[in-house]
Amino acid sequence: MPQQTRPSLDDPRISIPAGSEWYEPAPTPQTERQAEFLTLKDGEMFVNMGPQHPSTHGVLRVVIKIDGEKVVDLDPVLGYLHRGVEKLCENADYHQAICYTDPLEYVSSLFCEAAPVAAFEKLMEVDVPRRAQYIRVLTMELNRIASHTLFQGWMALDLGGLTPILWSFIERDEIVDMLAALTGQKLLYNYYRIGGVNGDLNHEFMSRLGTWMSRAAAQIDSNLGLINENELFVRRTRGLGVLDAKTALRMGVTGPNLRSTGVPYDLRRDRPYLVYPELEFDIPTRTEGDSLARYLVRIDEIKQSIRIIDQVLHEMPDGPVMAKLPRLIRPRPGRAFGAVEGPRGVYGTYAISDGTDQPFRMRIHDPSFVHLQLVGPLTRGNLIADTMAVMASLDPVMGGVDK
Amino acid sequence: MSGAALVWARLTPAGRILAVLLPVLAVGGALTTALLIVFGGAIAATIGANLPIVRFLAASVITFLITVPTAFLLIYMEMKIIALMNLRIGPDRIGPAGAVMSIVHGLKVLMKEDYTPPSVDVPVFTLAPVVVYLASFMTVMVIPFAPELTSVGLELGLLYFFAIGGLGVVGLMMAGWSSFNKYSLLGGIRAAAQAISYEIPLTLSVVGIVILTGTLSLPKIVAAQSGSLLDWFIFRQPLAAIIFFIAITAEANRTPFDNTEADQEIVAGFATEYSGMRFGFFFFAEYVNVFIVSALFSAVFLGGSNAPLVLPFHPEIIINLGSLGIMLPILAGIAPVIGTLVCAAPIWFASSRIKTWQALVAGFLIFGGLSTAAIGFWAWAMIPALGNLIWFLIKTFSLVFVFVWMRGTLPRARIDQLMGFAWKWLLPASLLNIFATALAVLLTTSGGN
Amino acid sequence: MARIPGSGLVRGMALTLTRFFQPKRTVMYPEVKPDIPPRNRGRLELVTDEHGALKCETCFQCAQACPIECIDMGGTDTKGRFAVHWGPAEQYAERREESALRRAGRTVSDAAAAQGSSIDITAVDATLEQFDYDPHAMLGILEGIQAAYGYLPVDALKRVSRATGAWYAMVYGTATFYRHLRFEPGRTRSIAICRCAPCLAAGTGRVAGTLTAEFNTELGRAIPWSNLRLETLPGHLAEAPSPLVVIDGEQQRDLNARNVETWTAALAGRYAA
Repeated sequence: MPQQTRPSLDDPRISIPAGSEWYEPAPTPQTERQAEFLTLKDGEMFVNMGPQHPSTHGVLRVVIKIDGEKVVDLDPVLGYLHRGVEKLCENADYHQAICYTDPLEYVSSLFCEAAPVAAFEKLMEVDVPRRAQYIRVLTMELNRIASHTLFQGWMALDLGGLTPILWSFIERDEIVDMLAALTGQKLLYNYYRIGGVNGDLNHEFMSRLGTWMSRAAAQIDSNLGLINENELFVRRTRGLGVLDAKTALRMGVTGPNLRSTGVPYDLRRDRPYLVYPELEFDIPTRTEGDSLARYLVRIDEIKQSIRIIDQVLHEMPDGPVMAKLPRLIRPRPGRAFGAVEGPRGVYGTYAISDGTDQPFRMRIHDPSFVHLQLVGPLTRGNLIADTMAVMASLDPVMGGVDK
Repeated sequence: MSGAALVWARLTPAGRILAVLLPVLAVGGALTTALLIVFGGAIAATIGANLPIVRFLAASVITFLITVPTAFLLIYMEMKIIALMNLRIGPDRIGPAGAVMSIVHGLKVLMKEDYTPPSVDVPVFTLAPVVVYLASFMTVMVIPFAPELTSVGLELGLLYFFAIGGLGVVGLMMAGWSSFNKYSLLGGIRAAAQAISYEIPLTLSVVGIVILTGTLSLPKIVAAQSGSLLDWFIFRQPLAAIIFFIAITAEANRTPFDNTEADQEIVAGFATEYSGMRFGFFFFAEYVNVFIVSALFSAVFLGGSNAPLVLPFHPEIIINLGSLGIMLPILAGIAPVIGTLVCAAPIWFASSRIKTWQALVAGFLIFGGLSTAAIGFWAWAMIPALGNLIWFLIKTFSLVFVFVWMRGTLPRARIDQLMGFAWKWLLPASLLNIFATALAVLLTTSGGN
Repeated sequence: MARIPGSGLVRGMALTLTRFFQPKRTVMYPEVKPDIPPRNRGRLELVTDEHGALKCETCFQCAQACPIECIDMGGTDTKGRFAVHWGPAEQYAERREESALRRAGRTVSDAAAAQGSSIDITAVDATLEQFDYDPHAMLGILEGIQAAYGYLPVDALKRVSRATGAWYAMVYGTATFYRHLRFEPGRTRSIAICRCAPCLAAGTGRVAGTLTAEFNTELGRAIPWSNLRLETLPGHLAEAPSPLVVIDGEQQRDLNARNVETWTAALAGRYAA
């Protein structure tokens, strides 16, 4: 029995007569959950955030049911950036597929290349030269730092701070310029090839890397001083959106978001790939599972990445950077799963070969998509402003979510 | 086609405007002169008889005219200072160091389409920016720029200030409600809640000062702080100063209390549906508000127009120009030439590589600087209002800098933390301050008796 | 942790104040060009060697490998005999709709031309012949076509593109750029002037001369920038006064042998506007 309510702003009849071009009848619920979501109690109303909202990280649309300032329910709507990348990859040959996957997570596109390349290499049963492996680790860790520094700025921006994002971009720009000197592109590097990498390290990259390494750690540390101990920032994120380890594992959460709940799961340690087993680094974890923990885990990962880069630079062997492979890749029929630990979580690609030069089926697993389903449970009961804090701390990239 | 029509058709738009304007101005000027000659005495007599009214009108017009350049200056300061803190350069293309940028911004806002969305409450929607702007510029009237430069020295100035300053929230609520937009509504409600919560500690924090000075008049409060640096109320009432500063930050909707227009949360708050000059009014009012609250803080706590250090000597430079007689115009003509030559001579003699014209230009600039400094010093010494005004503006703009600095640094407080802070901490603290002040006054006066 | 409340805020404020005085990182772009690394492949361009000769040897491998088919190569072979082309099947040019042709960087294709024309295009061919099929005289050609038809039919534009070798997009662009070229048959107004002997004696010759000079046209042709058309009346109407001019089928009665000049000037003034 629906309760008789006061007219709310959601009732189109209060100002728009039926028959006007603005009039839109209320949608009919298709599922039980939708019916529950669409039912408004007294005093509640919907607020539509996105897809062009300043803080929804691209084109995410979130429909929020609020009671005053309190978020009662929340419904993320995806698909505004859907391009059908998996299907496009199935119509391209193996080399071309790599360049389709690179714009998925555009802030860390080397990981988006690394996963399909790993899967294809398993299909081809090819050994990557050791120097190429080291170069991959080096560039991936650089990209992880770029992604995490950018995250740090976004997090502060979503909480209302203006300055950190620009400082983050300065740090990120140096890495991006460095990688541009190596790969030839600034954002979508398209650098990894099946069986190696496209081109050896060059002088320009190495000199830029050297200058950056000499002051990177100190500079990033100094940037953190702006918000890490800021009372306003800490009070807004501590204890907000607490995720426990059990729920996180059940929902398939990976990456820093999982490690912030105390589970030290990292693909670099647990399913080693490339030369990670030979390198020495820690897996930073926290046990709180709140927004602040998710933020701090990422900050700690930056330091570990700098440590890895330092080791890689010292142990880099000489040799070829590309395995001997035919120009036309035609793997034997089979299936393979390649996964890497990206800055947001496990980034995986599952590829089936039918013996032709195009993948028969290619499935891309993106961690942002998994993490986005947490926004609802973690935000319910908090305030509107907390939606931003939770969403920013989960760090989704919509390019990967919508594929 | 007749000759006049042909000429008219060939004129540019500017030429057409001039062609209409010049005759009108000529005729109007002639008429005005004639009227002044005929009725001048009567007009002067009327003005003399109603001096308070005329003074009030002039003060209103001047305060209204002050607000616009102030807002432009503050917008430029905000753009430039935050840019420098972000390790950017900020505006630098238009004008020297980009100084004209904010005026161009204003022109841009003027030229944008002024759009009224369907299904808004049109009269309220249209009036809201006017109310907000009016409220902010009405408070400028009681600001004591200097003892001689207070447009209206109200006896209840402080109370008037809080009352009219609180009126701006009505405009924000009007904008939020009439926009037919949920973000606007949330912004308006936030503004109302925030303003009401922070009005209380804001008002209570100055009660201590009212107890000490026994007046609500801003010029008298400023006068009570004359003397040494330690007479300023920021040193006599530090707790009140802190509470007051936090409260005016919230009153002016500045970071970290800018929840009313938190763009990461509710897009632009109450201004979401506004465009063009109506949005510009909100924008202007916000910056005028920043100036006003800074001015209020410097008047109440930083000694207003009192100099922090009183010079041990007081220069008395009395130049009776009339005594020079006929030599005055001759000197005025000769002095710049001789001064320029005298200043240019050492440069010209210093190096043979410097060309004569370069030395002359440099000498002219040096002489200009020196004479400006001399005239400025004379004015400062002889016109006390000027020195007072300069001190007042230095204090006010230092505070504006602090506000901008905070905006460049701090993230935003959450709305519930904001309200909790006002009620749980600021209100008890301000009450404590009142009790402590009252007790101290009671003890000292009873001890004196 | 027993820290003074607000110390984090103060530390942040101190940090921004130190950054306030530090050197800035902005690159003043138009004055200072960014340092483009030699490996940069952000821009598609043909590489030249140190003598300035093109290094491209037209192997088509780039076009073949481009996954999203944005590289498309076309040209003629070294002896200028055969057109060679690599790239995606040119979808737009193969299609025959006018809107598709407009986007194609092509002349009108065989397929589109084979459709035939729904109008009589002999006048188009005559105009083309007059301008020697020269695509540089596109405006003249289009004005000629408009004079013949009163507007620019789509089939005529296709014919122009095919005959002159100009891209359809360029023909269309020229036609849309000039205000006086029309794609719709407008309502034409005709000024018919009788040229029988009595009328000529009464002054219609002067009317015709003035109007053709005023509108820069000839009798029997449309005026390119107007929907007006000057014609010769086939024969003198029965029971009509002698200087006879018919405007839109209505004979003008206020014209007589004495006021020919002023009347013509008034008419020209009226239509010139």
